[in-house]
Amino acid sequence: MATDSPSMSASKRSSATSNLRHSQTARPDSPHTPQQQLRSGNTSFTSTTSPGSSFRNEDDAIIFEIGARWLRAGFEGNSAPACVIGFGPEDSRRVGDYRGWTQGSLGAGRLAQPVDAEEWARAYELWRPDSREVDLGLVEDKIERAFRETYNQYLLTDAGTSRLVLVLPSLMSHPLLSSLLSTLFSRWRFPSVTLLSSATMSATAAGLRSALVVDLGWAETTITAIYEYREMITKRTTRAMKQLMQEMGRLLTELASGGNQNDDAEDKISVGFAYCEEVVSRFAWCILQAEESSASEQTLSIPSPANPEQEYMDVSFARLTEPAEKVLIAPGTAEHEMDDEEKSIPLLIYNTLLTLPPDARGTCMSRIVFVGGGSRIPGLRQRILKEVSLLVDRHGWSPIRGKALERLRQRLEGLKLSARSPPSGTETIKSNGKAANDEDASSGDEEKPDPSKEEPELDFVEQKLRRQNKDIPVPVQGVLREVESLGPWAGASLTTSLKIRGMVEIEREKFLQHGLAGATRDIDLHVPDRRSGLRSGGDRSSWTLAGWA
Amino acid sequence: MSRPFPYTYISCPCADTPVPDPARKRRSRESPQKSPSKPPPERVNPSGEDKKEPTKYEQLEEDEEEEQTFDPRSPRSNFSLYPPEQLLYCEECHQIKCPRCITEEIVSWFCPSCLFETPSSMVRSDGNRCGRNCFNCPVCTAPLAVSTIENATGNGAQHGPWVLSCGYCLWTTLDIGIKFDKPTNIRSQLQKMTDSTAQPAIDRSRQASRTFGDLKSPLSTFASIDEQSAAREHEEEQSPSQEQEAPPMGTDARFAALKSFYRTQIAETSSSPNDPLSTDFGFSSPGALNRLMSLYASSSRLSGLYGGSKKPKSKPPVMREAITASEGLQLAPENGDEDLIKRLTSPSCGWDGMASTEQRAAQSPDARFTDDLLPLPALLRTKRAKRCKSCKHILVKPETKPQSTRFRIRLIALSYIPLPTLRPLALSTSSTLPTIAPTPDLNSLPPLRPVHVLLTLKNHMFDPVRITLATPPVTPGNVATKVTVLSPQFEIGANSDVWDEALQGASAPLKGDATAIGMRGVPEAGKVWDKGRNWTTVVLEVVPGTLPGSSAEGGDGNGEGDEGVLAVASQKADEDVLEIPVFVRMDWDADAQLDQGNVGKGSKPDDKVTRELAYWMVLGVGRIQPSL
Repeated sequence: MATDSPSMSASKRSSATSNLRHSQTARPDSPHTPQQQLRSGNTSFTSTTSPGSSFRNEDDAIIFEIGARWLRAGFEGNSAPACVIGFGPEDSRRVGDYRGWTQGSLGAGRLAQPVDAEEWARAYELWRPDSREVDLGLVEDKIERAFRETYNQYLLTDAGTSRLVLVLPSLMSHPLLSSLLSTLFSRWRFPSVTLLSSATMSATAAGLRSALVVDLGWAETTITAIYEYREMITKRTTRAMKQLMQEMGRLLTELASGGNQNDDAEDKISVGFAYCEEVVSRFAWCILQAEESSASEQTLSIPSPANPEQEYMDVSFARLTEPAEKVLIAPGTAEHEMDDEEKSIPLLIYNTLLTLPPDARGTCMSRIVFVGGGSRIPGLRQRILKEVSLLVDRHGWSPIRGKALERLRQRLEGLKLSARSPPSGTETIKSNGKAANDEDASSGDEEKPDPSKEEPELDFVEQKLRRQNKDIPVPVQGVLREVESLGPWAGASLTTSLKIRGMVEIEREKFLQHGLAGATRDIDLHVPDRRSGLRSGGDRSSWTLAGWA
Repeated sequence: MSRPFPYTYISCPCADTPVPDPARKRRSRESPQKSPSKPPPERVNPSGEDKKEPTKYEQLEEDEEEEQTFDPRSPRSNFSLYPPEQLLYCEECHQIKCPRCITEEIVSWFCPSCLFETPSSMVRSDGNRCGRNCFNCPVCTAPLAVSTIENATGNGAQHGPWVLSCGYCLWTTLDIGIKFDKPTNIRSQLQKMTDSTAQPAIDRSRQASRTFGDLKSPLSTFASIDEQSAAREHEEEQSPSQEQEAPPMGTDARFAALKSFYRTQIAETSSSPNDPLSTDFGFSSPGALNRLMSLYASSSRLSGLYGGSKKPKSKPPVMREAITASEGLQLAPENGDEDLIKRLTSPSCGWDGMASTEQRAAQSPDARFTDDLLPLPALLRTKRAKRCKSCKHILVKPETKPQSTRFRIRLIALSYIPLPTLRPLALSTSSTLPTIAPTPDLNSLPPLRPVHVLLTLKNHMFDPVRITLATPPVTPGNVATKVTVLSPQFEIGANSDVWDEALQGASAPLKGDATAIGMRGVPEAGKVWDKGRNWTTVVLEVVPGTLPGSSAEGGDGNGEGDEGVLAVASQKADEDVLEIPVFVRMDWDADAQLDQGNVGKGSKPDDKVTRELAYWMVLGVGRIQPSL
């Protein structure tokens, strides 16, 4: 507490000053009529702003979420971004090059010759995780154009006048981040840029403080455990949408060639990327159970991969589940066969939960949030959770497994000792009736009575807390549960509209002096109690990159 | 490649100055190996310059000196090349300005469909879209028309329910079950209808936010915690009963619920007796939240989750997470996506029943089927004034009215730089029949066979201009085309009065005859092909190279095999396009009256200043045939 006192007094000051502004804006709605109605009169396309915004239009921050494939932009306080822009080859044409309109966009038809799967996708990405393969100058060019067009076409406000909030993945290579920021600062006069981590924002947009955010992104799937707004662990795998797209491309290529494929074109793709993306976005799905066959009998008529413009072709619906299942779930592949970077998603979720401390694990496992492009694939989320619960059933929460353990177990059984109790008893106790529907999924230790059903043994601290907070429902814990999120963009919009300042706020002048190197690496700024994505608004003489450092 | 052949592009000089990254300099000084790979790997130096070691100092210099050949095939060049007519010119900086080196200010907003100007105060509340009856088809983006439903019962044409219908793809709002009572104010009618689906949720959140709206007002600051918690309890009593039948909220409703939930939490947690200041000053001030976050994150980590603390009377409750649906929490549906998958497989859906990625881009994130698509109000457009980024000089200022296409100020580059035009020279050796001499087909130029193209530069300034052209002897890229400018240095006359030429005497028809003779002549090195009042034509001799992998593979370009997949992937499609980078350097004597400070630079006795402008230009000549 003593260490907090300077920041407290500082924040008191700032709360006083900010309140002057706030009271001005809040007064008009004190007769509590119009503002909420205004907002609830919202539809998807009318992006009405936060209450009172008409009084300070200029102050509204603009939020950009940038990923490898898409850019979302809009104003704070809106529930959905004003626009979503891709980084395809159509967007990097020369000015005055209208072939996208006159000849049809690239990638819609069949490719002239099969290309390698990596190259096939390359033109559609803004960057890749490996910055050795990225031409930073090109990235700068693309970002500049995308921002300029976003401002001119969708945001319809002068670029650079208001604060900018960037929602970025929490792991970004420094050259990229530096390019991005220096492009923005040198091209426009943004007074400051705030960075928000997309995983934390996804949790915020789900109404949660702790969550396990599974971001099924383009190049990789990131799994981030967030506990009380802090990122605890991040694990990642390359099993993500890019691989899924490539797999679908191979499937469609095979369908197009009618099965008689020669060997040298084994790994190449000959269907257009845009066409393949259409198929994925429309009909990629994931089967829930292997034996489920009601849906898989159906056939579906999709534009023929050989000639998408004119012909249609019947495809068995079951085939379209193959890429998603094979890439993301990887059934039938043993754990030891997969590299560290390509663990399957259920396994990775399980491992992430396993590395968490039991308290955090219990909290996070009942707050699993799926975001990213892959979370739209029907059936995928249920399937992943089912696989995770199978893993929990099989292994419990013990990282120890293997033949030696089995032998030991048999020996101990021989001694009539119940040595098989996994150390899971402590964190799965607290569950109330609400979670009953999920219980059988989470707790499958047959030999032991179901820990979530037995009478929870409360310690005295717990009992005291319960007594004091009778009116507050006990949080769900220890069961696998999925919570839906509005997505990182909406989370950032929410956070910004509540006037919470980001931890990483980069001011123009300071950045232009030193660039990223000017960020403080002072350990004081990294004390855990401030790493919550929030920061006391006091001292601004130095800035930090927090999680991005 | 991008326009019909032949074409010309101009590269804005701003491409030579890279984005200044303050850290980059520092970084490269610290560790040269780690410095980002600039120049990009695919850039080649066909002009035979030594391969430079990217050492720390040279690399910095390299960015500054403009000795490098411009490569029209580099993926970056797509972002710096502009058609000449799209460029602007700053009179203060004496430099070409492209959209990247200007700043823009919005003058007015208007709807492109009804041409009504939207006042700036309304733009944001309308969501940057037209607030009237202008809608675009969600399926094909054509404009929608308001029309009445034909009614057999004899309702007049002016009565009855109204729909929006697309004249192109015949989509109507009836397809998604929407009819309008009035033909006016469609936007607000539509809003009401689309909201009604999530009505209960909104009602609740509205109630909730009203109660909290009370608390937020500075007048009712002494609303105690008891009142708040009472309100909350009241809410919670209601919520479980409503929870079951409440349909899943829409995005907006959920967002509103979450927002009001967070507001309440901030309000409750910040009214702490520990800190009397915060009760005096409003609830939802950010400072209060920040302080609490840092306070409780450290002290009561254990209890943080349970939303309570040991002494509720002395400590305010800690922020908790959303628990009920009215607070914005939404659990995944119990049966998962089964319904969705069933609908996907149902024969009624099919490929066309699903919305495409393009259609979905402007819709709500939940839209998946074509039935979910709503008509889109037309996106507003803006009229923008443009300023030079470096000197803030206004370059373009349009008139405010949407109907007017006039400009108050418009400094387009073509009034300052010569307009380049390109045409092929008829390849005829026989001077007898010049009219039927076949011009080479630019879309299939035979490799290794010389072609002559005429480059005409037309001056729009009132001063004569001296031009120097330079090209790399061999074009960069995989296809090595040899280029020779037959007369690289020449002069273009001033853009004087048109009558001057006519009044110069009877030599005009004779001169025209001379050009006709010139047309039939043979291009000679060192001689200007043709010349007029304010234009000059020179000849370029081009020997197209052979495409790699074609039958006439010349054996060059193999050295660039390891050029990096980056370049190959993006350029394979247009590899056969013959584009010639030409460096243009022009200088002229301008009146020095505009800037007196510039006199030191080669001033002449009669108040003239020598000005100089240099830029890269790209000539798109044609497409090379794959084989001989």
